[in-house]
Amino acid sequence: MGIIRRTWIRLAGAWAWRRPNGPVRLMAAFSQAERGSSYDVIAALERTERRDLRRTYLFHALDESRHARIFRRRVQALGRQDRAEAALVDAGSLRATGIIGEAPLFEQMGELEFLAFVYVVESLALEQFQVYCDHGMPDPDTIAALRAIADDEKFHISYSRRELEKYRAAGRGAEVRAALFRVRARRIWQAWLRLSRRLGDAVSTLWLWALYLVCVAPFRPLARVEGGGWRTRDADPRPIAEFARAQA
Amino acid sequence: MAAVLGISALYHDAAAALIVDGEVVAAIQEERFTRIKHDPSLPVRATRWCLAQAGIGPDDLDHVVFYEKPLRKFERILHHTVAAFPRGIRGFPRTMRVWLGDKLWTRTLLARELRIPADRILFSEHHLSHAASALLCSPHRDAAVLTIDGVGEHATTALWRGSAAAPFIEPVAEIPFPHSLGLFYSAMTAYLGFAVNEGEYKVMGMAAYGQPRYRDRIDRLLRRDGRGGYELDLDYFCFHWHPDRSYTDKLVDLLGPPRFPGTPFVPEGVDPDAPADLVADSQRYADIAASVQAALEDAVVDLARYARQRIDAPALCLAGGVALNSVANHRLAGEGIFDHLWIQPAAGDAGGALGAALWAWHCVLGHDRGPGLVRYDLGRDFDRPGTAELLGDLQLPFEDVLEDASESGLAERVAEDLAEGRVIGWFDGRCEYGPRALGHRSILADPRSAAMKDRVNARIKYRERFRPFAPSILDAQLDEWVELAPAARDPARYMLATPTVRADRRQQAAAVVHVDGSSRVQAVRAEDHPRYHAVISAFAARTGVPMVLNTSFNLKGDPMVSSPAQAVATFLGTDLDALYVDGFRVGRSKR
Ligand SMILES: [Fe+2]
Ligand SMILES: [Fe+2]
Ligand SMILES: [Fe+2]
Repeated sequence: MGIIRRTWIRLAGAWAWRRPNGPVRLMAAFSQAERGSSYDVIAALERTERRDLRRTYLFHALDESRHARIFRRRVQALGRQDRAEAALVDAGSLRATGIIGEAPLFEQMGELEFLAFVYVVESLALEQFQVYCDHGMPDPDTIAALRAIADDEKFHISYSRRELEKYRAAGRGAEVRAALFRVRARRIWQAWLRLSRRLGDAVSTLWLWALYLVCVAPFRPLARVEGGGWRTRDADPRPIAEFARAQA
Repeated sequence: MAAVLGISALYHDAAAALIVDGEVVAAIQEERFTRIKHDPSLPVRATRWCLAQAGIGPDDLDHVVFYEKPLRKFERILHHTVAAFPRGIRGFPRTMRVWLGDKLWTRTLLARELRIPADRILFSEHHLSHAASALLCSPHRDAAVLTIDGVGEHATTALWRGSAAAPFIEPVAEIPFPHSLGLFYSAMTAYLGFAVNEGEYKVMGMAAYGQPRYRDRIDRLLRRDGRGGYELDLDYFCFHWHPDRSYTDKLVDLLGPPRFPGTPFVPEGVDPDAPADLVADSQRYADIAASVQAALEDAVVDLARYARQRIDAPALCLAGGVALNSVANHRLAGEGIFDHLWIQPAAGDAGGALGAALWAWHCVLGHDRGPGLVRYDLGRDFDRPGTAELLGDLQLPFEDVLEDASESGLAERVAEDLAEGRVIGWFDGRCEYGPRALGHRSILADPRSAAMKDRVNARIKYRERFRPFAPSILDAQLDEWVELAPAARDPARYMLATPTVRADRRQQAAAVVHVDGSSRVQAVRAEDHPRYHAVISAFAARTGVPMVLNTSFNLKGDPMVSSPAQAVATFLGTDLDALYVDGFRVGRSKR
């Protein structure tokens, strides 16, 4: 399994780093992801029943927001189009990429599954960073940044593993296994959703283009763009209660 | 009991606002919960919190009022897609997916997500909501109301007549899409290399470094018609049909290449070691920004003159995104067209939630007007025992200054911190409704030295060096420090006017005076915020300077902090020296 995944990371990475503007896009995406996880970990800190974990969550969150800043600085240093800043305020893109869901992860998952999630995701991120560095895909400065960040990720992996171990030792091994399974299954399911959404968008785009050409064109002569300037407007003739209920 | 909930969503800044028995009991933006800046999604969390705050459930709501009419908006979008044939094809699929997926079913969506019967849902109009958010919060009865933004349903600018009796607000005139001052300014914001809906303040800040040398060219883009209105030359803009761009190549031919996002901005006289071509470029962008700002101001003044012609009233209420342009507001106040200017702090789309609720309460349900609304700390607060427990669990060193030293001791302690050069995070009570931090979620610092500005920009907010900071100043001493137009007295209360600082005072408050001598003041009164007023008074007693530097408590790109845990994380992630949370003073600890 490990070797297959590493090969996959390598192949996908080779494409991701080499496509036009690849490094900038990757750094911007990483920056967003780190930022999203910092929010999620703060939400965990606020909601956890495990008061002994709050301090750990705090340091974890601080790491992630520092990582977000490091990656954003890489985006700027790499010099090409700084889409990152625009993207950071583009709420739509945060949602579309699933980085921040409707409710904080902790609310969706609960304590044990959240820890399992941290463990799985951080391990995958660390592996990804290592493959990139080992194969010299990024530039030297980015490699240095990734290696520095990797040290923090090791801490995130180790504390979440330690906590999962505690649950196992307390006789909740089956729950831990189930949580790890759910986390991994959800990742696959979400990847599938993303792919199918893209496919769906592509297909619907073709249909909508056709619709535009066939159905919209005939009305073109009827639609004109108004000039500017003030025009007087009268009050709506409908009684106020009726006006208030109308969507048009 | 009667309760009305206002909702703005699905475009910019989603928010919810709740009126119970005529009183605004809660109002908050969704971004304060989801931590997505300008989050436009349906404000489910904000709504849930508002209801909990009032101790009621969805069933207790008499009405939920959406801030615009979705079908009318859809009609406008379709119309412009057709009018832009064939080039409108680029944006067509995305628009259709968004509308067919969500927005067309607003009523169903609201009913399902907020768990209320569909027949209790009402729909205001976009600009009507803006107008209501200004007029019905103001102390004025007979007033002209101008709403200026990007676009609502069809209108981009609208004039309303406010009156003392029902129907309270009546339409007078409007300017239709795509002729839009808001979208003009946003397009130029994009041209100048900033993010739209976020970077407009930066354009305002940049303009101070330039001269309006490009004014004749900008006047070709935005033509004032001499009858109080304006028109855009649509050859230069494409926001009405292009999915991602707002200006055309023709605009680039006219003004030169656009500014690359993130390029350092070093205009003349700032840094002698900067490369000459960078300085020349920066100066060109500053001059363009100055020209854009001047053109906007002139257009706003024209609109106000037209308003005065049509409506004989001494007060003007302003709302819509353009009303957040504090430089234009002060210029308008100084023109003497109206005796009073009133702007509600959430003048942008977040304020539409409050406006929609107020409109339904007064105009639909027929309740009389009250005295207006002066305090806008309408958001979420946290109890002190919970905060003490949190700080204890985090093993951070903290003291309960409020308990140990009482209110006056707390003010003294904060003033001492500030006077000794410490930059502090200040989290106090309920959070503000709207985009400005008014002393509830603020970063505070000593305003006296220019070095402080650079430190807060570079090491705390991580933002561009050229951006100015604003002071919170004691209202009683305001006139000793700035040349405030009398009509701008109310806007200055909410950081919505930028007067000039008196020349002999500028040195004394160097961190909060912009390069052109202006300053976006917040005039603080004891009745608006007693604890904050006491802090500034204590600082004044120590230093002779009756103001503190006040900037929103967040990092670049984040919304303002809304909970103590977020405040702590932001405090520890930056170079802040101390953090005050509801009377607790928090220090740093080693990891
Ligand atoms: Fe990380
Ligand atoms: Fe991590
Ligand atoms: Fe608006």
